[in-house]
Amino acid sequence: MIEVQGLGKRFGAVEAVRDLNFTVGDGEIFGLLGPNGAGKTTTVRMLAGLVVPSSGAAAINGARLGPDSQRIRGMTGILTESPGLHEKLTARQNLAYYGRLYGLSGATLRRAVDRYLGLVGLEAVGDRRVAGFSKGMRQKVAIARALLHEPQVIYLDEPTSGLDPSAAKTVRDFVSTLRNAGRSIVICTHNLDEAERLSDRIAVMRGGFLEVDTPAGLRREGRTAIVRVELAATDGEARRLLDALAGLPFVSAAKALPDGLQVEVGDPRRDNPELVAALVSRGARIVAVREQAATLEEAYLRLVGEAGERDALDISSAA
Amino acid sequence: MRLSYVWAVFGKEWRDLRSNRLLLGAVAMPAIIFAAIPTGLVAFIQARNLDPNQLGQIQQFIAEFPDLPAKLAAEGFIITNFMAYFLLIPAMVPMALATQSVIGEKQARSLEPQLATPMEVPELLAGKTIAAALPAVIATWGVYVAYGLVNGAIADPRLTRLVFSNVWLTAMVTLVPLICLFSVLLGIVVSSRVTDARTAQQIGGFVVLPIIAIAVAQFFGGQATFSLSQVLIGDLVVLGLIGAVLIVGSWAFDRESILTRLG
Repeated sequence: MIEVQGLGKRFGAVEAVRDLNFTVGDGEIFGLLGPNGAGKTTTVRMLAGLVVPSSGAAAINGARLGPDSQRIRGMTGILTESPGLHEKLTARQNLAYYGRLYGLSGATLRRAVDRYLGLVGLEAVGDRRVAGFSKGMRQKVAIARALLHEPQVIYLDEPTSGLDPSAAKTVRDFVSTLRNAGRSIVICTHNLDEAERLSDRIAVMRGGFLEVDTPAGLRREGRTAIVRVELAATDGEARRLLDALAGLPFVSAAKALPDGLQVEVGDPRRDNPELVAALVSRGARIVAVREQAATLEEAYLRLVGEAGERDALDISSAA
Repeated sequence: MRLSYVWAVFGKEWRDLRSNRLLLGAVAMPAIIFAAIPTGLVAFIQARNLDPNQLGQIQQFIAEFPDLPAKLAAEGFIITNFMAYFLLIPAMVPMALATQSVIGEKQARSLEPQLATPMEVPELLAGKTIAAALPAVIATWGVYVAYGLVNGAIADPRLTRLVFSNVWLTAMVTLVPLICLFSVLLGIVVSSRVTDARTAQQIGGFVVLPIIAIAVAQFFGGQATFSLSQVLIGDLVVLGLIGAVLIVGSWAFDRESILTRLG
């Protein structure tokens, strides 16, 4: 469980992150989206106990950021933006080194290294130096490194970067498995499709949070959802059914289309069954019901603008 | 400080070093060169049966070895006078290893995952320091022992006793490790501020200048080798320098500043 209250970070005159408030529950995946320089990496570094916040507070499974940072680093796993492996060492030696730094030793360490090399599909090349590895293989070693000590809280920065589609799917499935095992997971990504597939909630940030919602909620842009009902017979049928919708409290607007109906509802998951039931009871022959929402990309661009990188944020020169 | 972390870092660095032949060469070559030059001179004098009176400027130093015949005194002067350059090994080698280690990690961006573990920065630095200093100390001591034995075998066992004098044994046990430590710490501090190993080594290379200056001053000052008191003063000076570098280093190698400089 991650609990964050008013968290902020300033590097000299530059305010990299401001006033973050959120929680990530056990078994939840929380996505961080935002342009380059939006503060995603700084946020993760603060939560991982690597960077000291300038304001606010956070607790990881009850351990407070600051006084308990060393304990926090022991209970979190982090996949950094760049794999950052030790080139001259083999994959096994890389993992064994980090296992020791996370307090594993002896048979426990060997079992953990073997298990995670197997899970990322690198057991056959575990004794080769990573200098000869492809980008995807390095990413897999880095993922194994982040999970080796079975952390309860996991931060993943671009987890499928450099992976081919099948390897990316393997990683996504694995992340879902970790969620099902009750881990709290924060994912930073520019891959909107990945964020939508994996995240239970997404925060779009640019210094501070611009909006936090479920992927479906972000797509709806905070408004009612538009549902299209495709009908088998449309000749006059749609106009007749409009009357049936008038009495439904969750329908805020409706109009007839050449091939069916367009209906605005509050929450499609909650309201669609009743909508369908009401239409069917009036004799409607429904072919399909589809939510007509904006894509996450449209919602994202609406929130952050199309300018791209955050202006004038050069942390290294400000530090 | 938890030794398990220091040991883990040391083990990783040691594996890294063993797999880097170029760096191993950087450790071995200076030691061999500094020992080979005076040994070659002794062998040359021994083989040619040269009259010490022909050796010009070193005439004045032969008087420092009243118990030895003139030719052996000349050889004694050469091997003891060159020993000051042995102090260049602990100054140069660990600097190369330390800068390569830190800059290499910066370039591979492997510092962040290490700093994200429960390991504290001093434990990381201690492991790196030992890993960079130990090869230089071992190389210096190994070459020192070989130097004494080989010159004794080439010329006369009394030369071995000159090499293994109380002054130089004290210097090997105290001054060599201290210079190694100073060199490593300076290398780490310089490396934390620059982005490529060559620049770091060029800046850090200034550390050898005082040692060369001392060796040259010793020669022109009419002294064959250091006295015990000079070695002990040297220990104190290097200890003071280590303290100064540690103060600067604790500021330069802060966890947050390392990460923000990495971008």
